[in-house]
Amino acid sequence: MAAVKKKIGRPKPLRQRIGENKSWQKASAIVLPLALGLLIVLIWQTELLHSWLDTDTFTLPLMDKIGSIMYDNSDKIWANAVDTLKVAGIGLAAGSLLGYLVAIFAALLPRLGQGSLYVIGAFASIPVVAMAPVLNNWTKDVSSDAAVRSMVSKILVVTLICAADMGLNAYRGLTEIKLYSEDMMSIYAAKKRVVLWKLRIPNSIPYVFTALKVSVPASIMTAIVSEYFAEKITGVGRQIRENIVLAQYSTAWAYIATACVIGILAYVLLMAAQTILLKRYH
Amino acid sequence: MDEKRAVEIRTRNLGVTFKDNQGRDVLALTNVNLEIYKGEFIALLGPSGCGKTTLLRCVADLQQPTEGDLHIQGMTPKEVRLQKKFGFVFQQPVLFDWRTVKKNVELPLEIMGYTKKERSELADEMLEMVGLKDFAKHYPKQLSGGMQQRANIARALGLKPDILLMDEPFSALDEFTKEKLHEDLLRIWRETNKTILFVTHSIQESVFLSDRVCVLSPHPGRLSAVVDIDLPRPRSLDMRDEPHFNELVAKVRNSFEGGSV
Repeated sequence: MAAVKKKIGRPKPLRQRIGENKSWQKASAIVLPLALGLLIVLIWQTELLHSWLDTDTFTLPLMDKIGSIMYDNSDKIWANAVDTLKVAGIGLAAGSLLGYLVAIFAALLPRLGQGSLYVIGAFASIPVVAMAPVLNNWTKDVSSDAAVRSMVSKILVVTLICAADMGLNAYRGLTEIKLYSEDMMSIYAAKKRVVLWKLRIPNSIPYVFTALKVSVPASIMTAIVSEYFAEKITGVGRQIRENIVLAQYSTAWAYIATACVIGILAYVLLMAAQTILLKRYH
Repeated sequence: MDEKRAVEIRTRNLGVTFKDNQGRDVLALTNVNLEIYKGEFIALLGPSGCGKTTLLRCVADLQQPTEGDLHIQGMTPKEVRLQKKFGFVFQQPVLFDWRTVKKNVELPLEIMGYTKKERSELADEMLEMVGLKDFAKHYPKQLSGGMQQRANIARALGLKPDILLMDEPFSALDEFTKEKLHEDLLRIWRETNKTILFVTHSIQESVFLSDRVCVLSPHPGRLSAVVDIDLPRPRSLDMRDEPHFNELVAKVRNSFEGGSV
């Protein structure tokens, strides 16, 4: 039927023509999500959402209210966000590095190294709500300054979570290499060090990004949760809790929104880095 | 064979036994006696399971013989490998995705510690030889299978190895690409005068390319015949229509032990 129509030369239906339009295809990638966002803002601001969820503007404040609180408290929110970012960032860096080193160790000495991967994996499967108080306790002698003590404790939780993720992924990247590539390296009498440097490590880069796609958001989530249990009252996560306890829901929502912004920005940065660095792999 | 020609590779009672999954001994190759001359093009022909790849891997020191001995230029395979005298072309192109074609060709030269300038010049020369000059800056995934295999050959030739070992290098390619690469390979061989060991399961391919076809039979893998291919050189694709070519093909086919394969 369709073929017959084409022969006669009848124009395609409008919907099909729009669907095949190149500039619409490009624009729709931006327009459609934006429209969805606007729709959510609309049902939120008109309190339609509140009636659906059977709640009120005290528990779920209007967006403009949240926005104005963020604006009025921007200094305080910024200071707390920086604290959270420090924990997440340092923990992510330390954990990823540790995980990668263990993965290299495991790739070079499988018998010893795979064991350490399992150990890290086991540690990371402990829920954060259990790990955070334990590490709080462990690190209480680290410094006489409560700010330093809780910082160390929070960073350690993030480190462990990220180390497991990176270790397991990087190990795959270091060992799952193309058939015959090890044989080829031995034809050229390449030393183990050279095989690591020229074959295994470059091969692991896409796997590093696979790990980071999980561990970047996870590092922020873990930092936020471990703040709940920390000695020092600081950080976006802790402020959410404090303000909910005090029934200051609008302020709590301002910090929730901040947490969302941090998470989204970190992910966008990671995606940009991946696009640039992994170009040659695709 | 020309009396003056030196023996490059010599095997004596070579055999390989390995253990299968259940720990039983499997005789992959037994009692192989072979002399390969310098600059000769040898085809190792046989059905799967005849040990032809095993033999090639023993020469390359990627596998250890369990019986007999194997000497190359009077040395052990390991000594020759450590002197980087082998070029090896695998069944599949082993190109690193993160390197351009040229950088892939440069890889062995990097390992050998050549300077940047030397590497670049040699790689250009090799890419020119295999007809990939215009694709030097492409990444492997941007190339067709045939072009990837050319890049693979360029890399194997880069170190100017004495001995080129090829393990069914064209078996995954279409007929047209294969014919083109056959001609290219023969031209490169003429120009560089290397000893080539070429593993294949195609009778036509083995006859067309080689000076001698070593016929291997399976269960256990053994050398059942060596057939001299007296087709004149340089060879052209239309020689395959000549009666003598077909006589040689029939001769090779009839030399498999246990009848035709």
